Amino acid sequence: MSQTVGRRAFLRAAGAAGAGAAAVGLGGALASCGSGQKGTVTLTWWDYFTAPHFQAGSNALIADIESAIPGVKIRRRAFPFADLNTALTLGAVSGDLPDIAIIDNVAMNSFGNSGLLADLTDRVKAWGQASEYYHGPWAGCQIGGKTLGIPNNSNCLALYYNTDLLRAAGVKPPATWDELADTAQRLTSGDRFGLAISAIRTEEGTFQFLPFLWQAGGDLNTFSTYGATALSFLGDLVEKGSLSRSCVGWTQQDANARFITGRAAMQINGPWQVPTLKKADLEWNVVPLPSDKTSATCLGGENWVLMAGGKHQDAAWEVVKYSQKPSALVPYLEAFGDLPARSDVAHSGTWASDPALELFISQLPIARGRLYGAHYTDASTAVVEAEQAVLTGSSTPGAAAAAAATKINRALGRQ
Amino acid sequence: MRRPRTAGTRGAIRTGYLFSLPGILFLALFLAYPLLYNAWTSVHDVGLVSLLGGSAPFDGLANYRATVDDPAFWHAVRVSLVFTAGSLVFQFTIGFALALLFARPFPLNGLLRSLLLMAWLLPPVVSGTLFKWMLDGDSGAYNALLRSTGLGALAHDWLSDPGTALGGVIFANIWVGVPFNMLLLLVGLQGIDRELHEAAAIDGASAWQRFRLITLPLMRPVSVTVLLLGLIYTFKVFDLVFVMTGGGPVDATDVLSLYVYQVFFAYFRFGQGAAAGLLLLAVPLLAAGLYVRRLRREERAGA
Repeated sequence: MSQTVGRRAFLRAAGAAGAGAAAVGLGGALASCGSGQKGTVTLTWWDYFTAPHFQAGSNALIADIESAIPGVKIRRRAFPFADLNTALTLGAVSGDLPDIAIIDNVAMNSFGNSGLLADLTDRVKAWGQASEYYHGPWAGCQIGGKTLGIPNNSNCLALYYNTDLLRAAGVKPPATWDELADTAQRLTSGDRFGLAISAIRTEEGTFQFLPFLWQAGGDLNTFSTYGATALSFLGDLVEKGSLSRSCVGWTQQDANARFITGRAAMQINGPWQVPTLKKADLEWNVVPLPSDKTSATCLGGENWVLMAGGKHQDAAWEVVKYSQKPSALVPYLEAFGDLPARSDVAHSGTWASDPALELFISQLPIARGRLYGAHYTDASTAVVEAEQAVLTGSSTPGAAAAAAATKINRALGRQ
Repeated sequence: MRRPRTAGTRGAIRTGYLFSLPGILFLALFLAYPLLYNAWTSVHDVGLVSLLGGSAPFDGLANYRATVDDPAFWHAVRVSLVFTAGSLVFQFTIGFALALLFARPFPLNGLLRSLLLMAWLLPPVVSGTLFKWMLDGDSGAYNALLRSTGLGALAHDWLSDPGTALGGVIFANIWVGVPFNMLLLLVGLQGIDRELHEAAAIDGASAWQRFRLITLPLMRPVSVTVLLLGLIYTFKVFDLVFVMTGGGPVDATDVLSLYVYQVFFAYFRFGQGAAAGLLLLAVPLLAAGLYVRRLRREERAGA
């Protein structure tokens, strides 16, 4: 049988052999800071909202919390998007973890099964507000029968279109795949493509592709069949020139840039583009994603989580609870341009008066999460590689879907 | 016969150790310790759960087996080899040609040389982003150049085509690496005694003969050093590729360092990542060993 060696024991031994004194000195120094003055707890809070326009909203919420909950001080640290998960992982090794974090909902797959996150089940039961949340975001926080997070905000994808270009071409915004293909082709001319999507080899690309898979009537476990359908639909768009092959390098931000500059007549994107698009010099509107067998869109957003090893979980839970009060949550999400994950505030504030945001909110009930377990990332890479193989013409939809299905099944079977 | 140690020499030896102590501590803490830890990780089943206090059972060579059984690993090895070879050949030849040019005095020589160095001084993230924009299919500078010169038929989606993406990344890396090669080779050229060339010229040797029979043989030690250093730098390039293509399209530019990064931070298979990381280390380590041996031999020859 395999022999078990405590990792920390090994680290200690190896550390002592090399430079024990220095390591212990450093560790001691790190451990001694962090406790605040008597009576107040200083909570550390990590998120990935680094863009300038997120800072005012975050600071306002923190000021609100600090004045409303006596004895709580908050030290916030914002990481670049891609670094937060790495920082949490490294923190798991070094013990340097925050009390509170706001993480991407897809990260629940890897962190949810790791024991990193605090179990909130009993606290949530006592709180009694679970039913206020939309089904998708809430379900995304339930792992292995435990509640591990509280949804902060939600988003999903929809189809933006350039009103002027569609009017000039005399077409209506598409509602089905056939109409999408037809409209995209009619709107393609010169250096303008009919449609822009992001098919980059990251989670962003998978996020944009999954709705096509679901609309075709499939899911990850039936990828060889329905993946092929979705892949061949998108492959045809590239083949006909209505979708740029370059989209395999585009982030959603890049797709939006094409849309704003008129180099794409339609784009698939999320509500976070609304503030930018409002300032842009073009007429646009947004409709639900076109459907095939069924309608579907992909659910994005962030969740509040507490760390299982945190010393101040009670105080941290008070903070999360406070952040979900409409009086705190509404201005916070509005400042971010985010949609709420709770239906009780969804019909107030900007969300009730802005038709574009209303459209996105109307899609939340059919938005599907990406809760596929600890090895979802392997599956996600396989999906987006298949998409890239088809869009770049290096593989047929059938072959790419079959190859991806093998990898996906292996990843999802390895729980 | 060994000389008996006096109190004075013992003191000197102690002082010597004392002086090197900070260096030894530094190396132990920041080099030996992480490497040992990595080696330990590579023979244990370490995932996110075991990082959080769970157990990480010893699993022998299972991580290494999983790595060498993964077709993506061998694909990454191939991509890395092509990337390194392609980069080195062009970096070296272009660098050599430029060194020959800059070895001659001409107006603005110093200024041009320092401008050329900019490519090497720029952070790879910056140069990677610049090349990503310039090689863009729709609005990139290279395609605009081709179209404006009537070569529009050659315009291409360089980084979105799995057939040309690796070429595009190598192209960028050549640009980054040329100045480094040029600089070291220039130093080598300046070390060649001018009189050798003059004597050969008097004996009637043509410029080509002088280059082939004097410059090239005398530049051999420097060239080998430059190529070995280049190999070490190029084999572990991460940021440039990460920024330009992220390993895509599909897996066309998935170099080994990106593969290791993915196994670690996307899939959270730390054991396997550590094993792949150690395998990745083998090639630069071999090159570094050769380089150090060479350096020693040169020192001995020089003494």
